[in-house]
Amino acid sequence: MNEIVEQIGVCIERGKVNQSSPYPNDMKGQVGADELAKEALGAGVGPDEILSACNDGMKRIGERFSRSEVFVPELLMAAKAMNAVMAHLKPYFQTGAVKAKGKLVIGTVAGDLHDIGKNLVAMVVEGNGWEVVDLGVDVKAQKFIDAINKNPGCVVGLSALLTTTMANMMKIVKDIKSQLPSTRVIVGGAPLTQKAADEMGADGYAPNPQGAVAFLNSAGQV
Amino acid sequence: MTDHQWDLLKKTIKGEVSDPLPIAFIIDSPWLPNWYGVKILDYFSSDELWLKANLKAITDFPDVMFLPGFWSEFGMCTEPSAFGARGTFPPNEFPFAHKVIRSADDVDELPTPDPRIDGLLPFMLNRLKLAQPKIEAAGHKIRFAVARGPLNIASYLMGSTEFLTMMMMQPDKAELLIRKITDYLKEWLHLQMETFPTIDGIFLLDDIIGFMGAEQFRQFGLPYFKELFDANVSVRFLHNDAPCRESAPFLPEMGVNLFNMGFEVSLNELRQLTRNKVALVGNLPPRDVLASGTPEVVAAKTRELVGSLKDKSMVIMSCGGGMPPGVSTENIKSFLEAVRKH
Repeated sequence: MNEIVEQIGVCIERGKVNQSSPYPNDMKGQVGADELAKEALGAGVGPDEILSACNDGMKRIGERFSRSEVFVPELLMAAKAMNAVMAHLKPYFQTGAVKAKGKLVIGTVAGDLHDIGKNLVAMVVEGNGWEVVDLGVDVKAQKFIDAINKNPGCVVGLSALLTTTMANMMKIVKDIKSQLPSTRVIVGGAPLTQKAADEMGADGYAPNPQGAVAFLNSAGQV
Repeated sequence: MTDHQWDLLKKTIKGEVSDPLPIAFIIDSPWLPNWYGVKILDYFSSDELWLKANLKAITDFPDVMFLPGFWSEFGMCTEPSAFGARGTFPPNEFPFAHKVIRSADDVDELPTPDPRIDGLLPFMLNRLKLAQPKIEAAGHKIRFAVARGPLNIASYLMGSTEFLTMMMMQPDKAELLIRKITDYLKEWLHLQMETFPTIDGIFLLDDIIGFMGAEQFRQFGLPYFKELFDANVSVRFLHNDAPCRESAPFLPEMGVNLFNMGFEVSLNELRQLTRNKVALVGNLPPRDVLASGTPEVVAAKTRELVGSLKDKSMVIMSCGGGMPPGVSTENIKSFLEAVRKH
């Protein structure tokens, strides 16, 4: 039993999504996170245990990313493998057998179509037991506000890649804070710094997905 | 750029040290229209306003090399438009291109555009052609053939997550896409050079390079950039303000001799990474300092930057990345003054 769980963690770390996935090359033809999660649940492994293995795998790849041993493409593949597992675990979240830690509404700000950072954060955060409402890219303030109203108590994550869209991010933070002041907002993206986040009035800044998870876990759920 | 500025740029690339240090900024639609006092859409749709804004920049800051200088562009829509990407142009926000590739299978069917007639490129080229007499009357010449790089365009055509995932899952399709874009870009650069014989430089902008590791860049970036920079020109300029530690050692092999980077890597470190073979354009923090700082903060941080240089050859003072929105005339003057006085 432990072996399957461990293998799930390895598949997450290596980005092995399923058997038909050709990536990574040295695992070609082997079963992936998708099949293993299904098998584990069928064998009676608890969803919490599977989720914990996923977290371990993501933690390992995240650490390697921080050490520049792997890069965004590898991280994306790990997140994709994590998503494959989450598809199997979703029903357990819905029934309450596994309780979500909270809810993150996330989107790339208006004028910016870059989705890498946003997707990575969404996938890693979801893998850490948070429910994610992904608003996509080029998201205007009103869309965030509508989503917050629909998901009371959520945390909001704003992403931007372009230096040029930072002004939009600032405006969105301001709009959210003026209309829904108790909403906690975390920002991230290549051009961001802690200083810029502070100036915007954001509650948190994360330079990477792990930072976002740390912020969310410390922020908890209202 | 004037003849004097072009000579200064070439001398700096060759290693000659100037006193004061040369100063350059990449300027385009994120900064120029609002600085000039017009909306971004007006800047894009009026050739006259576009020209006046550029002329004001060179008149107000005669000692600054503006790179590429009189850049005729339509933001991120420019190159993807030739592939049929829908462009969205809000009145005073940055335009962007929508995806045209939904899956890896679409790559096979993607046509190679003709830059002479497709998308916004004819407008871009013709605007420059019509403005050429006035640009030259102002003492400047068109010096650069300019394009966004193949990885950047691929990410616009497909979505960056999808493109980077395709690199891992279907590398042959990813390479086919980059091949098609590179072929198109070669024609586009060639057309610009053919239209303006004064062009003696190639300027490529690509920040998707920054998301890759060295091995990935070696496969998906290096061969294509080598082809694109393989031209008989004096200046081969690359902009990547995303992370660059992995790709910087490849710059000499790519043919790059001038590089504008983000602000997170110091010029001293970059000099080592590029084995002192590439002139560097940078790298004051663009948003936190140049745009948001007071003139005094800009001056202090600029002095700090110049003072940090272990070697003043092959360096052009600038910000890390292009000129961001909202940089005031006062802050630019403060930057210039601080460099001059150091």
